[in-house]
Amino acid sequence: MARKLFRSHSPKRDNTSLGAISRPMLFTWFMLTGLILLFAPQNLTNDLQFTFARIFRWPLTIGKNFSLYARTRQPASDATFDRKSQYENHITNLQEQLRLKQEEIIELSRLRVRHPALEKAGFIMADVIRYSINETRSELTINRGQNDGLVKGLFVLGDNSIIGKISEVSPRTARLKLFTDPASRIAVRIGNLNIDRLMQGGGKDEAKIRLLPTKYKVRVGDKVLAGKKPGFLDASMIIGVVARCERDDRNPSMWDITVKPVCDIERLNSITVIIMNPQN
Amino acid sequence: MRWFRFAIFVSLVAVLQASLLLDIIALPPLSSKPNLLLILLVFFAIHSNTSNAIITSFAIGFAADISIGSTMGSQTISFGLFGTALAYLHRVIAIRKVHYQAFAIFITAFMTGTLAHFLAILRGQTTVPNIYSDILGKALYSAVVGPIFFLLASWLMRIKNHRFGRH
Repeated sequence: MARKLFRSHSPKRDNTSLGAISRPMLFTWFMLTGLILLFAPQNLTNDLQFTFARIFRWPLTIGKNFSLYARTRQPASDATFDRKSQYENHITNLQEQLRLKQEEIIELSRLRVRHPALEKAGFIMADVIRYSINETRSELTINRGQNDGLVKGLFVLGDNSIIGKISEVSPRTARLKLFTDPASRIAVRIGNLNIDRLMQGGGKDEAKIRLLPTKYKVRVGDKVLAGKKPGFLDASMIIGVVARCERDDRNPSMWDITVKPVCDIERLNSITVIIMNPQN
Repeated sequence: MRWFRFAIFVSLVAVLQASLLLDIIALPPLSSKPNLLLILLVFFAIHSNTSNAIITSFAIGFAADISIGSTMGSQTISFGLFGTALAYLHRVIAIRKVHYQAFAIFITAFMTGTLAHFLAILRGQTTVPNIYSDILGKALYSAVVGPIFFLLASWLMRIKNHRFGRH
């Protein structure tokens, strides 16, 4: 009865319907849309937010200026203070850059002292900006590239040991393929054995040396050195250490040697690229 | 329902909400600001029929998602859900008096804020510390500002405050 009374008093314009779509159906569709938005990849949904910010950039900027003005409560014509602040910030930035360059020079001088064979080589220090280390891939991305003289194939040092080679170069960045990457192959020599073998990355922070006859004596803990490669590495340098040495299951007359890096690659913040024939 | 006018109005409010202009009236200690889009949600939920209220709730939620920069979809879902619930509730309990409207804004703001927070966690997003204090602050501020903002919304949408009852 009350419902009938209530319906009879409802205004006419409120009985509008949306064609054949009922309210529960309308609600369900919108809810599904919301869930799709919620679970859609973020790079897609971020575009919507960036588009909004791009379209309404001007009004949003006005708001920012008003807000800053209200918060700082400074006189309108305080240009002198602004300029002074800009110079102070610039000086602070320059001082910090100078400090970093001095640290870099000290580190590079130490490298030359430690590796006399690389006296004529050029060193470029770079910061690691991305780590991609898993079972199928072991790569680092660094903040130096073609503009800094990097080319494909250059050897890279980390904590005074070879950790890999430059595999891809873009103008400002480069990708470094670690020797543990399954696609990596580097010629190496084990300890005092005067024989070169190919070391292949095995993923999981290790590499493998196979096809070395068991007549050669190899022990766990033996140093593994990256072989000389004219134009890229003029002197052998340590690359890893023998972690395991077993007879190969498929060919018992050969060793199956597992090599581990001699530095904690995942903790490296900066690396050094060796350029054997620097242009300048 | 004047949909074109609604679209323009919601866009303007979304820009205002996204801009730092509201920081001028932010209250310490958590810099709480009123959520104008949420006030609009309550306004349309109690001033339009149920079908239109569902559409406006989700549309305002979407506007909140793209303007506030939160986890995409969280505001759409929470605004849509509680806007629709409020519209159905309004069919039973008329929310006409100013203090009822303020209370409705407060409760809706708290519920939508909490649900959006949980949806963000579900999506794996990190949240800010003191989240519940922040939600509470916004809800209280919105409840105070809401009835005043209703007057502006009524004038812009050409809706008379006492024209609609329970639908």
